[in-house]
Amino acid sequence: MTIIKSFPLIGVLILYLIAFIMPLIKKNSLVKFLSVISFSTCLILFITCLRYVIYNGSYFYKIGHFDAPYGIEFKIGIIECVIAVLFAFISLMVSWYSCYSIEHDIDERKIPLYYLLINILVGSLLGIVFSNDMFNVYVFIEIGNLASCGIVVVKGKKENIKAGLKYLIMSCLGSGLVLMGIAFLYSMTGHLNMTYIHESLIKSYMNYPQAIIITLGLFTVGLGVKSALFPLHTWLPDAHSSAPTSSSAILSSLVLKAYVIFLLKILYRVMGKEIIFNTPILNILLILGSLGMIMGSILAMFQKDLKRIIAYSSVAQIGYIYFAIGLGTELGVVMCIYHIIGHAVTKSALFLCSGSIIEKTCQKEITNLIGVGKEMPYTLALFFISSLSLVGIPLLPGFVSKWYLAIDSIGVNKLLLIIIILASSLLNAVYYLPISINGFFDEENSGGKIYKSKEKTIKELMPIAILVIAMFYVGINSEGIINLIKTALA
Amino acid sequence: MKDKILNTVVGNLIPFIQIFGIYVILHGHLSPGGGFAGGTIIGVSFILYRIVFGKEFSQKKLKFSVLLRFVTIGVCIYGIMKGYIFISGGNDLHFPQPPLGTPGNIMSGGFLLPLNIIVGTVVAVTMYFFYCLFEEGEI
Amino acid sequence: MERLITNYYETASIILFGIGFATLLLHSNLIKKIIGMNIMDTSVMLFLIAKGYIQGNVAPIIVDEFKGVSEYVNPIPTSLMLTGIVVAVSTTALALALTIKMYEKYGTIELNEILEKGDE
Repeated sequence: MTIIKSFPLIGVLILYLIAFIMPLIKKNSLVKFLSVISFSTCLILFITCLRYVIYNGSYFYKIGHFDAPYGIEFKIGIIECVIAVLFAFISLMVSWYSCYSIEHDIDERKIPLYYLLINILVGSLLGIVFSNDMFNVYVFIEIGNLASCGIVVVKGKKENIKAGLKYLIMSCLGSGLVLMGIAFLYSMTGHLNMTYIHESLIKSYMNYPQAIIITLGLFTVGLGVKSALFPLHTWLPDAHSSAPTSSSAILSSLVLKAYVIFLLKILYRVMGKEIIFNTPILNILLILGSLGMIMGSILAMFQKDLKRIIAYSSVAQIGYIYFAIGLGTELGVVMCIYHIIGHAVTKSALFLCSGSIIEKTCQKEITNLIGVGKEMPYTLALFFISSLSLVGIPLLPGFVSKWYLAIDSIGVNKLLLIIIILASSLLNAVYYLPISINGFFDEENSGGKIYKSKEKTIKELMPIAILVIAMFYVGINSEGIINLIKTALA
Repeated sequence: MKDKILNTVVGNLIPFIQIFGIYVILHGHLSPGGGFAGGTIIGVSFILYRIVFGKEFSQKKLKFSVLLRFVTIGVCIYGIMKGYIFISGGNDLHFPQPPLGTPGNIMSGGFLLPLNIIVGTVVAVTMYFFYCLFEEGEI
Repeated sequence: MERLITNYYETASIILFGIGFATLLLHSNLIKKIIGMNIMDTSVMLFLIAKGYIQGNVAPIIVDEFKGVSEYVNPIPTSLMLTGIVVAVSTTALALALTIKMYEKYGTIELNEILEKGDE
């Protein structure tokens, strides 16, 4: 059944084709329906492709009639298929939720434009994950730049435009640095295909000792700006907190992760283990990751706006992911991918819950949200369960990541890191739990409020509930997922 | 007096600019140029028309909805052609394609010619939209 | 030091990158920041195109007859940079449109005054 081999490419093409039909359609409900259909088709295609790859092994898929060093190819392996299934699933849930809530955030005439931008953005992220050619990834990164800046500014308020302009300029700086890194790699080896670059670097890396350090530095800083590594994260709180709800869910759970996956591909598929262990890049990632974990949580404690708290906690979680890469062992890379899956599901559920709370009560600060548990019990309960995962309660994916990271840091003999993991878990609890506790249990202030007065209907809460069930599945089935990823890397 | 001179000169000059732009697009696979450069030249001719003749005339001739339809259908055809050639290449099935011919003729090079034409149209219309956006604040 | 002078294309490219980056950081006018971003993108393109030049060869256009592969300059970096130029132009266009919107909302394009007003 060789047609299954084309499914990843057909998925990406369907997303783009349906995106460009949307400006022609006048009725908004048809636009939303088309968007949901396109994401669910992609989900089915990618699940079939995942089953095919588990039975038959990974393969290279060439595009057009040109073979590998002259033409572009896709490499489809188990890790790529798992992450593609994750992206399709989360974007399906977020766009299903946004069908009900998008009218409150943006203007009626701009809705087809918004769904066009979401389709283009998810299509370009899937392209980054699948592709095996350096310049192809650069083109997809640029498309993702413009689309993700678009979904921040589509809501026309003052702080959106300021945050969007800051995001655009810093993203452009990041991709300029990535282009410089690609230029260095091309001038050293003369190829643009990742497997060919790896083969010729292994033979000749002794000739270029400083050039390899400069290249790795350029890639780390460039991709770190775009995925919010610690000192370069200053665009993130403004952009993610002032955007419309569904777009901040997609930005925070999917867009940051695709660039981390590209950095993993560069470190392990282009450079390879021998070259990396001679350079101090992994130690730098470890230090910056742990700084991000602690400083992200400390800065979150001083914020009053609900969405800004969740945005700063994204910085802390990305610190976990870089920490896992920086440990340098195989279990580190496995835990990095597992934490990507767990955090994506959790953070999108958190953003959707907080979006519906802000929309119904028209309050943005946490001091005004006391007693909201009486009015919206189901929504706040879902928020509470998702925040428990980030704190690290067993049976949920956050606990599994922290447990394995602690075991791994004992294995590398750096016991100081366990203290950092514990400290960041405590700091997470300090700012998440008061929101839920004040919501449910403050009796004297909530006397005047009516039970379930502002609750959303079950139909609108279904996507969030499905995301929380998926979070439980990822946490309980963690053994299976970790073994699946380990077979892919071995 | 000044208006009459400007209108006559520009009205006779714009067709020649457009013919040159079409020449650059059609010979994209033989000499420097191609879709982007030719599309820019045709876009410049639209902008010149709007500057000289004013807003009402150009909104009658170059309507927003018609141009939007050109752009979206063009990009869809581009996507379908690309998908066709990618899938036939990836699976090693050799579906029929436009003739490859000898290098040096116009009808050579397979899919390059139709793709250049579509890219040229899209670039021209996009440049005209950006000019309208900057002049007024919105289209 | 001689290596910096013989590879003068690459040295010029890094100096331009530094100039663009300093413009981006130090001026508070938004239009000047966008100009700095453009200079940075152009310097990266100069770097990559200069890598394709081989001394003594001509541009890769077939004029009378095909002279064989070793007589032409490497065409791959030039075609990659076409994509780069298109990307830079579209990013500049989007940034300029956003600057117009900011002028309508805030009344000024100096970043200092916007930060003071935005805290209200």
